[in-house]
Amino acid sequence: MKKNLFSLAALLLAGFAANAQEVKFEEYDLSNGMHVILHQDRTAPVITTAVMYHVGAKDEQPDRTGMAHFFEHLLFEGTENIERGDWFKIVAANGGSNNANTTDDRTYYYEVFPSNNLELGLWMESERLMHPIINQIGVDTQNEVVKEEKRLRVDNAPYGKFIENIKLHVFKKHPYKGTTIGKMEHLDAASLEEFQEFNKKFYVPNNAVLVVAGDFDVPSTKKMIEDYFGPIPRGEDIVRNFPKEDPITETIKAKAYDSNIQIPAIMAAYRTPAMTERDAYVLDMLSTYLSSGKTSKLYKKLVDDEKKALQVGAFNQSQEDYGTYILFGLPLGDNTLESILAGIDEELVKVQSELISERDYQKLQNKFENDFVNSNSSISGIANSLARYYMLYDDVNLINNEIDIYRSITREEIQAVAKKYLNPNQRVVLEYLPEAKDEN
Amino acid sequence: MKTKITAFIALFLLSISVTAQIDRSVQPKPAAAPAITLEVPGEFELKNGLKVLVVENHKLPRVSYTLTIDNQPRVEGEIAGVSGILGAMMGNGTTSISKDEFNEEIDFLGARLSFGSSNAYGASLTKYSERILELMADATINPLFTEEEFQKEKEKAIEGIKSSSKSVSAIASRVGGALSFGKGHPYGEFVTEESLNNITLDNVRAYYQKNFNPNNAYLVVVGDVDFKTVEKQVKKYFKKWEKGLDVTSSVPAPYKNVGQTEINFVDMPNAVQSNIVVTNNVDLKMNHPDYFAAKLANYILGGGGEGYLFLNLREDKAYTYGSYSNIGTNKYGAARFSASAEVRNMVTDSSIVEILKEIDRIKSEPISAEALKNAKAKYVGSFVMALEQPQTIARYALNIKLNDLPKDFYKTYLKKVNAVTVEDIQAAANKYFSSKNARVVVVGKGSEVISNLEKTKFPIKYYDTYANAIEKPVFSKPVPAGVTAQTVLEDYLKAIGGKTAVQNITTLVQEMSASFQGQNMVMTIKQKNPNLFANDVSIVGMGSVFKQAFNGETGYMAQMGNKQPMPEEMVSKMKDKTGLIDELNLLNDSSKKISVSGIEAVDGNDAYVIAIEDSKGETSKNYYDVTTGLKIKSVSTAKTPTGQEVSQESTFGDYKVVDGIKFPHTTSLPMAGQKVELKTTSIKVNSPLTDADFN
Repeated sequence: MKKNLFSLAALLLAGFAANAQEVKFEEYDLSNGMHVILHQDRTAPVITTAVMYHVGAKDEQPDRTGMAHFFEHLLFEGTENIERGDWFKIVAANGGSNNANTTDDRTYYYEVFPSNNLELGLWMESERLMHPIINQIGVDTQNEVVKEEKRLRVDNAPYGKFIENIKLHVFKKHPYKGTTIGKMEHLDAASLEEFQEFNKKFYVPNNAVLVVAGDFDVPSTKKMIEDYFGPIPRGEDIVRNFPKEDPITETIKAKAYDSNIQIPAIMAAYRTPAMTERDAYVLDMLSTYLSSGKTSKLYKKLVDDEKKALQVGAFNQSQEDYGTYILFGLPLGDNTLESILAGIDEELVKVQSELISERDYQKLQNKFENDFVNSNSSISGIANSLARYYMLYDDVNLINNEIDIYRSITREEIQAVAKKYLNPNQRVVLEYLPEAKDEN
Repeated sequence: MKTKITAFIALFLLSISVTAQIDRSVQPKPAAAPAITLEVPGEFELKNGLKVLVVENHKLPRVSYTLTIDNQPRVEGEIAGVSGILGAMMGNGTTSISKDEFNEEIDFLGARLSFGSSNAYGASLTKYSERILELMADATINPLFTEEEFQKEKEKAIEGIKSSSKSVSAIASRVGGALSFGKGHPYGEFVTEESLNNITLDNVRAYYQKNFNPNNAYLVVVGDVDFKTVEKQVKKYFKKWEKGLDVTSSVPAPYKNVGQTEINFVDMPNAVQSNIVVTNNVDLKMNHPDYFAAKLANYILGGGGEGYLFLNLREDKAYTYGSYSNIGTNKYGAARFSASAEVRNMVTDSSIVEILKEIDRIKSEPISAEALKNAKAKYVGSFVMALEQPQTIARYALNIKLNDLPKDFYKTYLKKVNAVTVEDIQAAANKYFSSKNARVVVVGKGSEVISNLEKTKFPIKYYDTYANAIEKPVFSKPVPAGVTAQTVLEDYLKAIGGKTAVQNITTLVQEMSASFQGQNMVMTIKQKNPNLFANDVSIVGMGSVFKQAFNGETGYMAQMGNKQPMPEEMVSKMKDKTGLIDELNLLNDSSKKISVSGIEAVDGNDAYVIAIEDSKGETSKNYYDVTTGLKIKSVSTAKTPTGQEVSQESTFGDYKVVDGIKFPHTTSLPMAGQKVELKTTSIKVNSPLTDADFN
């Protein structure tokens, strides 16, 4: 009897473990169009308040690049009720931490607090949206700060300029051709009125999603959300109509120089479909197959067996309208860039001409399952995923069932996608070279 | 009964917050502090000394293993990098599983397993966790060392060094450590291509034998496990790990802090930002009573976006994307305090001044009660929020062991944070942060920053990217378009009074005085158009000690009355002169090649460098201030009697107008291997001179 009881308990536990993975959430709209997602998890006294805005570098005027990222700085400057310079102080003084980030597609702000400061987090985010102070002092200060950020992240960083060089050639019409940080002369030229107009256009509740995740009480939190965000007026609807790219039909050869490097790099970049398309998921698997882990095909071949490369890898940059798949390699010793590219191409041809092995396929499935379990390991990470799935995929349920998409991808699909997108005439080949001498 | 009351109060508070109208002009007050519980990991020890900590957490179906071997830091010396090579080679197969099979299995399971020279980490889904533990143990106890892998890792390490050779931050970190601790200290030494080439596979094996042992090892297991099962598994797989010899050696003392604040400069011509680190060594241990005060003081100075440094250098001045400080702790007493920023070239000097100012401020002014309250809140918040991760409990338990902390260190953590006073902060800042004895390590573009750095008046020492002391390098800036040697010389003539005025000088008599080897010296120089020259040096109380004269055809030199004819070479040089002001000669004399070779800093002022080559191939350089146009330095190369080339440097300053022409009134000249400062006491223009003056 005792034994039976024990196994029953074990069964119950096992069932619990299987479900523990599921992220439960609730979503609704405020009357001003702001979307709200709540995820309750009371295991630790921690709370995340986050707002994602559907505005990124691609929404900028072509002669005003860098605006979206600039706002990520500007909107910490203060509001009608939060004095300039107090934002960080308030967060820290209440034991929290905060940050923000910008991509080509969206801008994300968040605070993490001990859970007794939930109301503070909501107040701050509602202040930021309702009535930020956008004045010349703030613009001037953040202008310099952004320039330093660019120097730090791009100009002084080894290999810091490669993404911008890839994008420049992969995209000809779509605003993805520019960088998120933008051109400094555009920021210098922007008037205060332009900043204020940008705010009025994009920072509106109907262009935002609020996520509250962690240790909170649902009814009282809903009331607070209504109190703080409800009175913010709805803005005009945003119409997006970006130019479509023509297919790349001939290899685009390009060179770029970097004074911070000693070892050159070769990059092959392909334009791929929007992140919501099934093909984008297939490319994700293909990318993992080729370059993630010590036994991935490219690493094994070029770094391990042939010892031609110091490093090889791939980025699959998934974005709302298009993606970019970038393969890269750094030669070891006297090996040439051409020989690295030839090595990469051999593996690409293989994956186009034959199915990947059953074992490799199972390996991919194991990896994606492992990533899936780990992706929901922190409350703030879950908050970010909920916002992203809502805003860019229009399907919050992906947080729980995106893994099913990967599970359903077949070996045949992987081969078909490799054939469809990864041909030599569809790519940019960039030689990324050390600058012989400082240009001065 | 008691619980009911609490529940009632909680409800009451809740209903208030639900019904009350919000007033958004007032910052919301925090609700009651959440209760926290600090669990304690399960523990057991194997006979070989391996200590195991287990934190059960079933929220996600995954398990992680972290192995830490608490070895004393040791100098690797000639074979620096041997530990790195070991770390790279470990976890690539075992004596019974080939490298390819080993890595293939880990990847296949979607798991992770990685090693360092004294640590390892493995993680996987629960269903594969036992196998990962088994592989981790096998790779720990029976690593596979092959010559082929060894060569490959070595080559990769060499490429790695090359690839970071132009990275400003990589160089800053290498040089910073070496200068602070000393290259002979475990924390100061660094890996070079040379030291990597010295390493043999036997060195790697020996390092493994000596250091990769269970004696001081800790294995932390976190996740979806059951204590009893894990205990069985760990014992099963790790019991064969043999104990090594206990090696205790003394950790060398780090360098002493510098006597006065100095700049240590490393030139990186590709830098678009300067990497600044203001640093001093500290002896701070986690179990020292100052620990909390020192950490909080550092937090207030530069712990984040609300620190003194950030608010000044970023928010107020916009010099940088961020400026922060850090105070390290180390149980061997070798740690650093550092305040740092990466700033644009133009504001390098100002940034140093501001960083030092903020360090001074926290040392000299009591912090506000509010700053202390906020800092404490931040520490409390971070402590509470960290508990979300099950690893935190394990980390705390491990820290207690690694740093000899009292058992209740983390239980009383918040109490100790709250006990720190304003006075404690100031005392800690004074004890651990240095502004007067700081080493300011700057890695940046010399040609753009050095002139401003010189203006700070801090002594500047120069180092190469491997922390070797070097002479001040030549930092050359590009010359703007339109500037030629001719324009620089013309500008000089304009600056001293105009070409016509200069051409009108027929004779010149200058008297200068100096203190030389403790004696007062007077020097009189007479010159007459086109090339007549006489120089008399006398010492007060001794009379003339040195004389030199040239009459247009011949000349002589006399030392203490001992007269000799002027050497041929010198006579011909004298004859070449066609005027009293060098620059006039240079513009007229086509036998001399002149060019502008760049812009260099001279004592904090940018100067055009004019390179001069005469018909015999001898070279010299004149330096003209970019702003004033005046000549501030000249360097010529002279041959010593033994045939060695020595460079002779003269500098000119304190220009004053005499009869409508500006003359330098301080001149420093090389004399008998020393620099002598000469002050001009009088200048006479166009006073009558006779042939007798030059014979």
